[in-house]
Formats: sequence, structure tokens, C-alpha cells
Amino acid sequence: MKKLILLTLSLLFILTGCQRLDLNPLSEGSSENWYNNEDEITLALNDLYRSSIWYAEANRLFNTDRWTDDWNQREYLYDWVAGSITGEWSDAENTWANTYKGIARANTILNSLDHAVENVSEEQLNQYKGEASFFRACFYSYLIFLYGDVPLVTSYISIDDALATGRTDKAVILEQIYKDFDTAIEYLPTSYTGLQRVTKGAAYAFKARTATWMLDYPTARDAAKACMDLGTYSLHADYSALFQPSTTTSPELIFSIPRSRELTGSGLSVSSMITRNAGGTATAQPSWELFCSYTCTDGLPIDESPLFDRVNPFKNRDPRCAAMFVEFGTPHLGYIYDPGATTVLNLSTGTQVENKDALLKDQYAAYNGMCLRKFVDQDWVTYKQTDMDVKIMRYADVLLMYAEAKIELNEIDVSTLDAINQVRARAYKVNVGETTLYPTVTEIDQAKLRTILRNERRVELAWENRRWFDLIRWKLAEVALIRPVYALPTKAGLAANIASGDYFFPKDALPEIDDNGLVDFSTLYETGKIRAVVPRSFDKRQYLFPIPSKEVIINKNIKQNPGY
Amino acid sequence: MKKQVSKLLGILSMLLIYGALFAQTGYRQISGKVTDEEGRPVVGVSVRLKQTDVATMANDSGSYTIRIPDITPQVLVFTYMGMKTQEVTVRSKDVLNVTMEAEITSLEEVVAIGYGTARKKDLTGSVALIDGEDLAKRNNTQLSQALQGFAPGVTVTRSSGLPGASGTIRIRGITTIGDSSPLVLVDGIPVENMDRVNPNDVENISILKDAASASIYGSRASAGVILITTKNAKSNQLNLEYQGTYGVVTPTQFPGTVDYKRYMEMINEVAWNDGGNQSGAEYSIYDKDFIADYAENNRMDPERYPITNWVKELINDYAPTVSHGLSMTHGNDFVKTKASLNYEKTDALYNNRSYEKVNGRLNNEFKITKFLSGEVAGSFFHSLGENTVVNPLSSAYKYGPLWRPYWSDGRISDGRNGTNSWARVNYGGFDNTWGDEVTGRVGLKFKPIESLTISGVIAPSVRVSKGKTFVKQIPYYNAPDATRTSGYVGGNLTTSLAESRGEVRTMTKQLTANYTPKIGADHNLSLMAGYEDYYMFHESLGASSDNFLVSDYPYLDRGLSDYALNSGNAVENAYNSYFGRVAYDYAGRYLIQANIRYDGSSRFHQDYRWASFPSVSVGWVASEESFVKNLNLQSLDFFKIRASWGTLGNERIGDYPYQAIMNFSNGLFVDGDGNIVSQTTAAQQSFNIRDITWETTESWNIGVDATLLSNRLSFTADYYKKTTHDMLLTLQIPLFMGYNDPDQNAGIMSTKGWEAQIGWSDWIGDLKYSVSANVSDYRSVMGNLSGTVFLGNQIITEGVEYNSWYGYRSDGLFQSQEDVDQSPLLSSVVRAGDVKYKDISGPDGVPDGIISPEYDRVPLAGSQPRYLYGGNINLSYKGFDAFLMFQGVGKQSSRLEEDMVYQTAGWYNFPDFVDGNYYSAYNTVEQNAQARYPRLSQLAYDGNNYKMSDYWLFDGSYFRLKNVTLGYTLPGKWSNYLKMSNIRIYASVNDLFSLDHYPKGWDPEAGLTAYMARTWNFGAQIRF
Repeated sequence: MKKLILLTLSLLFILTGCQRLDLNPLSEGSSENWYNNEDEITLALNDLYRSSIWYAEANRLFNTDRWTDDWNQREYLYDWVAGSITGEWSDAENTWANTYKGIARANTILNSLDHAVENVSEEQLNQYKGEASFFRACFYSYLIFLYGDVPLVTSYISIDDALATGRTDKAVILEQIYKDFDTAIEYLPTSYTGLQRVTKGAAYAFKARTATWMLDYPTARDAAKACMDLGTYSLHADYSALFQPSTTTSPELIFSIPRSRELTGSGLSVSSMITRNAGGTATAQPSWELFCSYTCTDGLPIDESPLFDRVNPFKNRDPRCAAMFVEFGTPHLGYIYDPGATTVLNLSTGTQVENKDALLKDQYAAYNGMCLRKFVDQDWVTYKQTDMDVKIMRYADVLLMYAEAKIELNEIDVSTLDAINQVRARAYKVNVGETTLYPTVTEIDQAKLRTILRNERRVELAWENRRWFDLIRWKLAEVALIRPVYALPTKAGLAANIASGDYFFPKDALPEIDDNGLVDFSTLYETGKIRAVVPRSFDKRQYLFPIPSKEVIINKNIKQNPGY
Repeated sequence: MKKQVSKLLGILSMLLIYGALFAQTGYRQISGKVTDEEGRPVVGVSVRLKQTDVATMANDSGSYTIRIPDITPQVLVFTYMGMKTQEVTVRSKDVLNVTMEAEITSLEEVVAIGYGTARKKDLTGSVALIDGEDLAKRNNTQLSQALQGFAPGVTVTRSSGLPGASGTIRIRGITTIGDSSPLVLVDGIPVENMDRVNPNDVENISILKDAASASIYGSRASAGVILITTKNAKSNQLNLEYQGTYGVVTPTQFPGTVDYKRYMEMINEVAWNDGGNQSGAEYSIYDKDFIADYAENNRMDPERYPITNWVKELINDYAPTVSHGLSMTHGNDFVKTKASLNYEKTDALYNNRSYEKVNGRLNNEFKITKFLSGEVAGSFFHSLGENTVVNPLSSAYKYGPLWRPYWSDGRISDGRNGTNSWARVNYGGFDNTWGDEVTGRVGLKFKPIESLTISGVIAPSVRVSKGKTFVKQIPYYNAPDATRTSGYVGGNLTTSLAESRGEVRTMTKQLTANYTPKIGADHNLSLMAGYEDYYMFHESLGASSDNFLVSDYPYLDRGLSDYALNSGNAVENAYNSYFGRVAYDYAGRYLIQANIRYDGSSRFHQDYRWASFPSVSVGWVASEESFVKNLNLQSLDFFKIRASWGTLGNERIGDYPYQAIMNFSNGLFVDGDGNIVSQTTAAQQSFNIRDITWETTESWNIGVDATLLSNRLSFTADYYKKTTHDMLLTLQIPLFMGYNDPDQNAGIMSTKGWEAQIGWSDWIGDLKYSVSANVSDYRSVMGNLSGTVFLGNQIITEGVEYNSWYGYRSDGLFQSQEDVDQSPLLSSVVRAGDVKYKDISGPDGVPDGIISPEYDRVPLAGSQPRYLYGGNINLSYKGFDAFLMFQGVGKQSSRLEEDMVYQTAGWYNFPDFVDGNYYSAYNTVEQNAQARYPRLSQLAYDGNNYKMSDYWLFDGSYFRLKNVTLGYTLPGKWSNYLKMSNIRIYASVNDLFSLDHYPKGWDPEAGLTAYMARTWNFGAQIRF
């Protein structure tokens, strides 16, 4: 009996041996012993390339263009352009939070590189330092442009320290940014054979962009010039081809973030920019204002050029116009695109079908009759999604930044005109020297050349997330964004316009284009032949984003931007 | 379904034939001995053949002999005063020994209290008890939902009546921001989900509410503990029971929408308002003529001019539900066995969604020697949730009437530009989930001496889950006459498959010793000490593929390999615990109990890992005092006052909260050849707090239990106070730190609450009845937190209730543009007809003339339900029985969600109750002054009106009749004729109606994409 008791008891104890409690993550690393070798540092640096960190650029397709006079979306206004944003606005909070995530991660890398001194060469460590510095500089540049003064954090900070931290003067932060860019410029290579990571050229280009944002034109001039002098970059021969989603490499691309449906399983929805005949919703279009900004082939704006044809407005225009907009009567996504026709040709069946892209037939057809061509390929129709990359910096932008800096510094010279002409010549697919084959810029008056430059930026960089930044830094939002969104009249009015020969542009009225390149349709509106769909409003407080409400509520040292 | 019914009928008729074949005339003699639980003979027990007058009585040695007709089965009924009446089925053997059990009043009931049992009357903590029979009567196969309204202080909230939906259980409210679900144990072993237990298998449920009762479970008990005891066989039991129900589910209500004409007019009004109300622009989307001619056009050409009722297209009028259960029970002096199997299937009120589950349970107890007994038990659970790739419920009340789901010849239409939930539900593939769980339990109980029991249990469980989402490409035709597909329905553009697998393994080991020394007649002492550990491992994997060339083979290798994606993840956690209990009472009059538990958790750094959770409770049974007895209060049968104090812990905050983790992701790069490649990235995403440790809840409880008037009236009431220290909160840290908010030991929350239950049971002639009702309330207020938790429309901050509504204070609707111009505004889109907010403060602490989210939002009201009540009525008269149950919330601030009152996007329809009740430029001044809803405007919708404010808070209280059941037990001669010992048939309805203040069509409990179903059940219980 006693044996049985002993047996039972010992069995019970064997069964119930103590459970180990020191458990560590199984499928993740521990940051306490990270950053010790090249692989670990590279993995950490890789994180800074993720699109979620580059929120201000990659958050949504055509991100800030949606808030500009280049965009129409029926009667819908994004909250920024409706004037209804507050500190609760998700873009303000997410841009802030995600950009600071990038900064925290870059800080940790920069502060941890000495862990790897034993295992990694000094040269390699310096390159890592350059790479992390590049990202930190970029992220801070977005913050000071969007929010003004922001907290400056460059190392580990405890919660208590953070709660005691306020906003730092953006001039101080700008110095830190330049310092970081200079570190990046010093240590980064000009190119890579394998994976394309950030380069010396990118550091110059972003330094130039930051300087233009901060209206520091000498720095912008020098950085842009240094980028040009590297000789690494050149313009892609074909403007349209550069924006095909399949184009991932080009000597023009300085920094972009790839997207891939294959590798991530998701893309960005584009139904709203696909024609209704092709199965899209045609909700969003490039605006008439943008359409009118493309000069005629003589280099003159449409309100001055004798070449402008009101009946056929695509005629004699800068080629980038037809690269951006689908020209009426041309094939697009399997159909002839013509918003003035009741039936159109279905190219695959060869039959005429009812035209769902005409307001005459469908009250939800494109309100302004326009349709996007740039960026669009057949994949858009197949998947109603795109995975085109986010082109954040390209060489044309660097050339135009250089020209702009020179103009603003009133140092207009051959190199200034040449930078603009390179961009313009490429649009006409000719060499910059073939001055008879494209409208060469020869203007040397500062004010007039400024007008040309600003318009050139607008049309060259249309829907590339640059227009909004330009409107803000040039302080033009208060003019451009208080005008209504215009559109074609609804069915009955449109039919009458067509009958009287006033379709698209009324015979006896032209939009007026001012010295800033801003287009005013009020003369057309007065004819009663177009309609104003929705009024935009812009309050000057919106030259800065609001600081996220949460940040202001929990931290007494942080005050909201004025007016919010 | 038909198949199942005919199968069942087949089985039944087989049984009938079987019975008839063996029917013989003639008599047989049955004899045996009747003993009590200690094996002593019971003298004078009445032995009677059921439903007859044939009877005898046991003699002095407990023996009896009875002559009965020789037909099977026959049932003998053993009756004796003070003992439980027993019905024993006579089988082939002629010897039938019976053990009688002492009958217990409800106070004598033995209840589970955690590593042991206690008599209800000896309890000193606050424990709610639910009888398995009451649960079974409710015919709710989800145990969590079945608990609703039964016990005071136990809140069950539902948000869905969809098949397989669970209820959320809170014991005495919220305890922590993390996981406030109570710890659930089935036969002493923690389980993940109580819905995997079949309610018919439940013997009883003890709910440990206060710290004194729950602290034996220490670290994981802060949100309360639910102990589920499953049924086992008793001695002398041998039976087979079948239970089957068939039912239909019908919706309680659905939101209504305006008609096609008002839809177009209201859409026009939105555009007109947002365009600045220019004259002549009133019909900017739908021309006046178009609207006027629409009905006629619809008559002539319904393809092109449809008027679609989407609710009718998407929602079915009813759905079937069916369940079958079979259990077998056998018990003798050495082995007690119960096996049960239950099957259930419920369809949703829309196509291609259903939930199916199978529960199996086997409980075995073996008495091996006088010293040693053992148990082997196991359960099996299988579920299959068949689902569609989209939940169409919100589409049903949102889609506008001017679009068609399909053309008249059956081809799928584009809906609206390819948005078509009807096509997705019916042709879009599936999103199915499978779950399987096996739990086992082996225990040994060793009793070396009478007063000492040592037991060891090991209980492993394995849970596997499988998910398969197959999205099929759906081509559509966008004109009735087109022969060519013109696109693919949104969400179903390509054919893709995503599969997931998960595996969870747990192991619980327990070793306990109970010692009950005899130390004198009036002194009762019991001691318990134990050790327990637990380990959990969870691993998951996911794989997906896209762009399938064929749509009929839901297997990963059919997709394009370029689009194949994989994922994987694993975590583990563990704890070790030591615990003990001392219970002492003097003559059943003075009771005292003390518990302690010492816990270590893998979730914390080793320096902060261990904590102890003590508790003590006392009770005084006043009715046992001689001076009370001498008062001769005839009506007072039992009166006890209880008081308790204790602490509980909580650690459920993720698996490695103290560790700085490098989270891996993927980033995309272009390689040297221009190809896009994916690279692993690593970053610490969450801030880590190294010294994070246990959250502790200290609680005080006082209560009384009383029974009066010959045990007919019972009453229980409790008052409690809980304080949570070092509360684990995800406080907002400055966003600019660049990390996700970490959990922190942040602050203090105080909860005060009370609960009461009253019951009455009696009979009048053959009518037996009982009535019970309960009510409870609590209020949790946040103490000193070192920060704030923002939860969108709610907030957790010092001085206000947990999860308070947080937003602007409103001041009606702006009635004029002058008023708008003179008032502080949130944004420039505000016009007359929009919600007006009060300027409460500004950056300098005084109103600043701007409405801003930083300075003008305040806590508005608590969001938690108050004054929860429930009750039930039981009636029986001869063979008839009836059961009725109700439940409700006495007070609650609820929010009118945007989706209830205004649809957000241009083509979504408007709720019918809003029409005629909103501010409009077409209204008179008087009409506008009375308007409940703001003007129709997309800009103001986003920019002002539907921001959280008290304008949208309303009285969310409700009363609901949850269940009505009517049953009838067939007279014995009928069941005898059918060769069965007992047949009960019943009909019941769940969720018959509710009284509430919700807008028309909205259920007080259903979420925005769910419904509450009314379930009509018809069923039978047959015992052989």
C-alpha cells in the first residue's frame, strides 16, 4: 500500500514540474542586442524606405494634388480645400505621427552604430550614418514645411522628457537638417550596382528642395547645381513613358518608392480616374485650370496665343497637355473618348455604343469632360488598381529648382534658361540645342521669367504631389483656392451649348491667366454656359497644418498653430 | 434539412419497432437493496412502478421485492422523505440496487468555488449560481448569450444575432482597459471560449464576483471568474436522451429608406446645399423632368429605370436553424460515465452564410480502490462558419433605389459602377473558417486517510483554426442588351485565395491537497494548498495567391506564383502559481475563510514578475443563533451577513510588453536590373516599459443572503467597492516620440456598485411557479491617471467615468446665417441648419471665439449601461411547463451613429425617419425650428455636424422579452406505449420584442452591420 502511495505521489510531482517563465519573442527580434552587424543595421535602414513612413508623399495616390486647382472631383471637396480641417484631421495626425516614427528609427540607428564598431568597417559605418542622416533630414524637412516649429528630437527621449518638450524654432531645425544632408552628401555613394538605395545625388536634391521650401535660395541653388554637376542624372527621353507604371528605373529618377501588387498583394484604387465606358466611375479629373495652363506650341499662354483653337482646344498645345489629358476623339482604354458624343466606338467590338462618358447620356459622367491620361495603362482597367511607384524626386524637378533659385536671386544667366529649356525640349522630344523645334525660353526679365518658371513647374510636374507644396510656399493658395470648381452644364444646358457651337469653350469668352499662371473662369461663367459646382474656401491659417489635437491636449508646452 | 428530418424519423421508427418486437406479456420479479451514500440500509423506502399503482416498501434491511409486467423499458420510482426521489430504469437484470442521496435544499447545494466545493450556505464571498436546467430551457446554443439577464452583476452584451455570434461578458463592469473578460474554467481548467460548451452539458455555473471568492485564481481573476461544471453520471443511472429542435430565424427589424423620388430630391438637395444654394441649381444631379417622369419610365423600361428594394434583394424573410443532441449516462459504484454529442446549424438571413458546430464531451470517474480514484475526461469541438466575402447588411439599407443588382434575364449588372453586394453575396466566393478543439483531462485523487485528499490533474488542449477566403472574379454587364461583359464587380476583380492556419497548444497542471481534520463537533476546519502552472503556445501561418486563371479550384497552386504571399508568427506565455485556503466555521454560525495566491507571469521582467493576492472573508449566520431562534421568527428560515476583502491581479496585456521588440516588415526596392524586390525591414515600433508589472484590484464586498416563509422567498444583496491600482492603460504618449503607445501601469480606477436578486417559489394545487428578478448597477470613475487615453468618441481621463463620451457641447441647430456669422465656428463650411457648438475654452483658459478640438471638447456623459435588470418566470401545471425571461438596461447614454441617421456617400440612400425631420431651405422657419436633424450636406457632414457631440446622444435604455418557452410532457402511458421513459415537446421564441428609444429599424443591441434575430424553436426531449 505504501508503495502505491509513494508511486502516486511521485508521479504527480513528475507530471507537475515547474513551468519556465523566461520566455522571449519567437518570431521577432529584440532591439536590445540589435545593430551589431551589417545585416542588422541594413534591416533597420530598410525600414526607412517603407511607404508608410513617407506619409506626406505616399499616403494616397496623387496625395496633395487633390487639394489644388489641378483637381476636380464633382461637387466633392477634400476637407483641406473645404476649409474644415482641425487638429483632429487625420492627415495632420498621421503625417505627424508617421514622420516622427521615421525620425525615431533614424535616431536609434544613428545612436546605435557604435555597437557595431567591432564588426563593421569605419567606411561602411559612415555610409550607414550618411543613409540614416539623409532620412532624418528629409523627415524633418516635411515637418517644418507642414507644421512650422516642431519638437526637435535627435536621441532617445523618455516619456517624462517628451512631455516637457515644446516646439523648436524651425530655423534651428533647418540647421540640423542641413547638417544631416551634408553628412549624407559626404558619405553616400553616387550610385549602386545592386539594390538602389539613397545616393549622394538624392541628398543634394532633397537639400535643394528643403531650401526652396524654406525660401533659402542660395542653398537651393548650390545644392541643385551640385546635383546637376554629378553628371549621374539626365532626363528620360520620352515624357509619357516615364510615367508608365512599368518604368521603375531611369537616369531621371533620383528617389522613388516602389509599389508592387505582386509582392504586397495590394494596390491603390484608381476607379475614380477610369472612364465610365471602361468600367470606372470617372469621379475625379484633372481640372480645366490645369488644362488651360499648357501653353501653345509658340510658348504663349492660351489667352495670348493666336494658335489657340477654341473649337479644338487640344490643337497646337504643349505635348505634355495630351500626355496629361486624353484628347477628345482619341482611343483610351478600349473606347474612343469623346465627352460630346452620344455614342462612341468600342474598339474591341468595332461597334458604336452608348457613351457613358458624356453628360448627355449619364449624369455621373466626368463633370468637366476631362480624363486623365498620364500614369494610366491597361492594368488600371483590369485591376481598377495601380501599383505605380511613388516618384518623389526626379531630375526635371532639380533643374527647375535650380532655375527658380537663380531667378529668385536675380542671377538669371544662360544656365538658368538652359535648365528650363532642357525640361521643355524633352517635352517636345528634341534636344535642348534644337531651338527651332520647341518654344525656347529666352526671357530674362525676372518677373516674367518667374511666371514662366512657375507655369513650367505646374505642367511638367502635374499630379506628382508638387503643386500643393508650390502653392503654399509661393503663398498663392489664397488666390488659387478661393475660386469655385467649374464644370460643364448638365444635360439640357450641354445640349444647347453643343447646338449653338459653344461646346467646351464658349465662342466669345476666354479664361484669363494671371502673372502667377492662375486661371480665372469667371468670364466664362458669366456667359451662363458653364456651371459652378462647389465653392472652395481657403483660410490663411491653412498655410500650416494644425498640430494634432492629442499632442496639444496632453502636453502643455505645445500650442496649436494660430487660427485653429 | 429535409434529409435530417427523415433520418431522424427513421431512427425513431426503428426504435419503436424494436420495442414492439420485444414486447411480451407476463411478469418478472425485481429485487434489490436500497442504501444511502455511506452504504447503510435505508428503511421504508417506497418503491413504485412508474405510472402505475404497483408498489412496495423496503424492509428493515433495506431490501425490497416487486413484481412487474415483463415489458421493457420499465421505470421504478424510489421515494423517501429527506432523500432525492430516484427513477431507475429496469433492464435485463432482475437485481437492482439503489443508492439514495440526501435531498438538499438550495442552501445545501454544493457549488464549485475554485479548487474545491462548498455548500451554498457556507459561502462568505459573493457567488452567483446558475442552474444548468434553466440555461437549457432558453434554447440558446451560445452559452455566453444564454447567460444574459440571469444573474445580477453579470452583464452580457450582444452586438449581433448573426449565426455563431458570441456575447461579451462583464462581471461587475469594467475592471481594466485591456481584456475585461472573466476567466472561464470548465471543470477547473481554463478555457478560451465558453461557447464551445454545449449548454445542455452544463450541470451548473458558479460566477465568482468578489475578490474573496475569486482570489484563489489570483492573477487572472480581476475580471471575475466563471466556473462551469459539466454533468456527470450519478450512481444507478442508465439512460439515453435525445433532444432535437427545429426553428426559424426571422429578423427583429431593419432600417427603412426613403423612396426613389425623395432619394433623387434629397441627393439634389445635398448638391444644391454644398454648391451654395444658387438659384437655378436646385436640380444639378437629377433633372426635374427626370424625377417627374421616373415612375412612368420605370413602368415602360424597368431595366434602365429601376426602382430596387435592396432589403428585399439581399435579406431573406427567414432562415432555418436546427439542432440534435444525444447523451448517454451510466453510473454504478465504480464507474460513472456520461457521453454527449450535439450538432447545431443556423443559417443567416442572407444567402451563403451559416454556422455549424459539433460539441462532444465525455466524463468518466473511476473508483479504483478505497484510496484512489481517477478521472478521464475530454471534449471535442468543431465549428464551421460559412461566410460570404461581403456582409451585405449595410448595403441593404444604404444602396440607392436607382440601380439594379441584376438584369431581368439573370445576368449580373454593374450595380452602381461595379459596386454590387448582391452579386458578391451570391457569386463572389466564400470566406470560411473552421475551428477544432480537443481538450483532455486526466486526474488522480488519492485519499490516504479520510480527512486528506491529494489530487493531481493534467489538462492539455489543442486548438486549430483554418480560414479560407476565396474571392471569385465576377464579370458584369452594364447594359441590358450588351452581350459582352464590361468589367468586374468591385472587390471581386480577380480570383484570389487567402488561407490561414493557426494552432494553439495549452497545458495546465494542478496539484492540490485538501485536509479536513476532525477537531470537535462544532469546529469545522478545512485547509487547501496547491500548485498550478500553465503554458500556451500559439503559431500561425498565412498564404495567399492572386490572379487565378480558373475560378472553380480554391487551392493555392492555381494562382499566379508571382502573386503568392506568405506570413507567419508565433508567441508563447506561461505562469506558475502557488495558492492556499483556510476555511473555518463554528457550528455553521461563524464563518471565516482566507485565501492567498502567489503568481509569476512570463509577461513581466523577472524583477517584476511575482505578486501575491490575499483575501479574507467572514460570515455570520444569524438565523443559527439561539437568541434569533428564540425570537420565534417563524418566517425567517435563514439569514446570513457576509463581508469580504481581497486583491486580484491582471496581466493580460500582450505577450512581451517589457521587451524592446524589433518588429519585422517588408520594404520594396529596385534591384540593379530594374526589378522590384522585397526586403526585410526591422524597427522597434512600440515603446517598451521595462518595469511594467501587475495591475491590482482591491475589492470590498458586503452582502446578505436570506430565505423566508418556509424557503419560498429568497433574497440576496451585495454592495461592493473596487479600486484598481497600477491600472494597465495604453496612455497616449507624445506622438513625436515616434512609437506606438505602450501599456503602462498608469493609474487608479474606483468602482462602486450594488446588486440584488429576489426570488419566490410556491405552488397552488398542481400549479408550481417561481419568479425571480435581479438588478444591478455600478459606476467606474477614473482616479489619478498619469495621462489620458483617447478612444475616438470616448475618453479615459481623470475624474470622469470610464469610457466617457467625449466631444463638443451642442446648442441646437443654427437657425440663421446671422447666427452663424456671430458665433464661434469649428470650420468655414458651417451654415444655417448645421449643429451649433459651445465655445468652452481656449489656449488661455477662456473662450477664444473658435471652436477647436483641443479646447472645446469635454467629457459628455458615461457610456456604460446602468441599472441592468433581468428576470424570469417558471410555471408548471401537470404536464405543462412555461418559462419566460426578460432583460434590459435602465439607463444608458447611447450615440446615434452616422450610419443610422445620414448616409455618407453620394449614392447611399437616406433613412425614412429623417425625411421631413431635417433642416432644409425648402422648409418654413417654424418647421426648421423643430427639425431634429441638420441640413443635408456632405461638406458639413465631414466638417461639422457629425463630429462627436451631445447632439447625438440619446436615451439608450431598453426592455427586451428574451425568451418564452412552452412545454408539454406527455403522459406516462403515452410514453410507455412508445417505449420511452419521458417525452417533452416544447416551443420557444427568443428575442420576441423590445421597447426602446432607438430610431425606427434599429435594434438596441445590434451593431451597424448586424441584426438581432427572432428565433422560433420547436423541439422534443426524449429519454429512453
